[in-house]
Amino acid sequence: MDWNAILAFARGPLFNAALLIFIGGMLFRLFRVVMLGWGKDYSTSRGSKATGVVQSYLKGLFVLPFWPWVKGTFQRNPIPYIAGGLFHLGLFVVIFLGTAHMLVWKDLLGFGWPTLPMPIVDWLAVAAIAGMLALLVNRLVHPVMKMLSGPSTYINWMLVFLPMITGYIMTHHLFFRYEVAYSLHMLSVDAMLIWIPFSRISHFMFYFFSRTMHGAELGKQALTP
Amino acid sequence: MPKETIYEHLVGEGVSRREFIKMCGVLAGAMGMRKVPPVAASNLPPHLARGAKIVHEIAAALESKPRVPVIWLEFQDCAGCSEALTRSQSPTLVNLVLNQLSIEYHETLSAAAGFQIEENKQRIMQEYYGQYVLVVEGSIPVGANGAYCTIGGRSALDHLKETAEGAMAIIATGNCSAFGGLPKADPNPTDAKSVAELLPDKTVINIPGCPAIPEATTGTIAHLIIFGAPPELDSLNRPMTFYGNTVHDRCLRRPFYEAGKFANSFDDEGARKGWCLYKLGCKGPTTYNACATIKWDGGLSFPIQSGHPCLGCSEPGFWDGGGFYAGQSAPLSTPTIAMVGAAAAVGAVAGGAVATANKAQKKKG
Repeated sequence: MDWNAILAFARGPLFNAALLIFIGGMLFRLFRVVMLGWGKDYSTSRGSKATGVVQSYLKGLFVLPFWPWVKGTFQRNPIPYIAGGLFHLGLFVVIFLGTAHMLVWKDLLGFGWPTLPMPIVDWLAVAAIAGMLALLVNRLVHPVMKMLSGPSTYINWMLVFLPMITGYIMTHHLFFRYEVAYSLHMLSVDAMLIWIPFSRISHFMFYFFSRTMHGAELGKQALTP
Repeated sequence: MPKETIYEHLVGEGVSRREFIKMCGVLAGAMGMRKVPPVAASNLPPHLARGAKIVHEIAAALESKPRVPVIWLEFQDCAGCSEALTRSQSPTLVNLVLNQLSIEYHETLSAAAGFQIEENKQRIMQEYYGQYVLVVEGSIPVGANGAYCTIGGRSALDHLKETAEGAMAIIATGNCSAFGGLPKADPNPTDAKSVAELLPDKTVINIPGCPAIPEATTGTIAHLIIFGAPPELDSLNRPMTFYGNTVHDRCLRRPFYEAGKFANSFDDEGARKGWCLYKLGCKGPTTYNACATIKWDGGLSFPIQSGHPCLGCSEPGFWDGGGFYAGQSAPLSTPTIAMVGAAAAVGAVAGGAVATANKAQKKKG
């Protein structure tokens, strides 16, 4: 099997197609929600929508992730909180501050930025992978989580886990020849990109969408979101 | 050409027995034979003269086998592989192949020219049918009935097919003959093809590179002559001895890759300190070749050592494999703004339509 040809396909036409499906799919999801419109709001404005949005973001990005005791979930079951936190942190660092990925962004956006040294990115990748495994075990063991999980949940997990583990294998030249690991990484990334808009992984966008809407709504009523 | 053995010929050239055994040792090393003893010709007990057998085997082969004629064809090439061979500074091996073995036909190196050399080629092909080694340099254009490259009034394709028929082994040296190389790069105006594409029922040993490392070419020829069979090949028919590892695997800048120290431009601090060239487009991780170990000009240097990223010249289609200076992780191509716009528009319109339909249904219901 000519893995170089597979790699060229996965990095070229397939990646392009996946990217276009991803972009189109995410806009489809967004417009499907936005165009439904909002219910009429009869309350009189007592506060500021903008203040609400700012507060909402501050809480969502800086308070909830770093002050565990604020969240009831942490007290009930700390594993998803810690593992989930490590996963999201690792994912963010690997995708945006890893050298190889920055070069992808540079190619797509036309500009690059400084990246973190490899060992730091590497350990955070390990943390993210370990976090994902912990979350899977938790999901399989916890009775309530088990009931909440369907096939799509596990597909979500798999399609996020595969790019991470193949990326790690590729960076460290483990098990496979480099072009094979690279091909597997790109194929799994392409599959994930196509899957994201039609799955709950789309929360990476809707999280900010709902933070904004929720913040504005509560801010208007002078409540702290 | 008298059918004397290679050893007899070497003795006739004034090579002593000691020099001959040394040459066998060097050959063993060059061919990647693992058991090369420091003192092979000694009468030391076996545990001290480990692996002496390999050299003896080579010596025995050279003593008993007749010299093998080599026919070297050049098609759509730059003669760079031949140039590299004649300029390589590893005297024993290249000298052996160039001078001691007989290259009977080489368009650039042969003293004869015109119909004389073509006649000589025909004579060798008949006299040594099934015994000569064919080395091909350059791709073969098949467009316009092969009119883009003719030698002596005949097309390259014609020459290749004719010469390949009676060859004991076929070696494609350089990326052009192995994979099509530069002539085959998009849009491939001459419809250039590799040797293997045109000879599907023959085993073609590929020695790709731009140019091919001379020691890889001569080492493979030597292997063929000594063992009478091609060396172990990988999935792209490249000898494992020379193409078993990536350039990245054996790179002297590899520790900087591991440590995450990269040159960001050709003239920054990292470049001056000799850091990893990955961000400057180095294709070392996916390129299988012996550049980092055998190096060039007698082991003096190789591109990465000299500060230039690997272009991946021993891999198929390296001219069309993305920008030479774009990091290897970057996608090979990106969608145009128009394509992104179209995808976004389709998504937005479809989303809006579904939402509107849902709303209408709700009102009705």
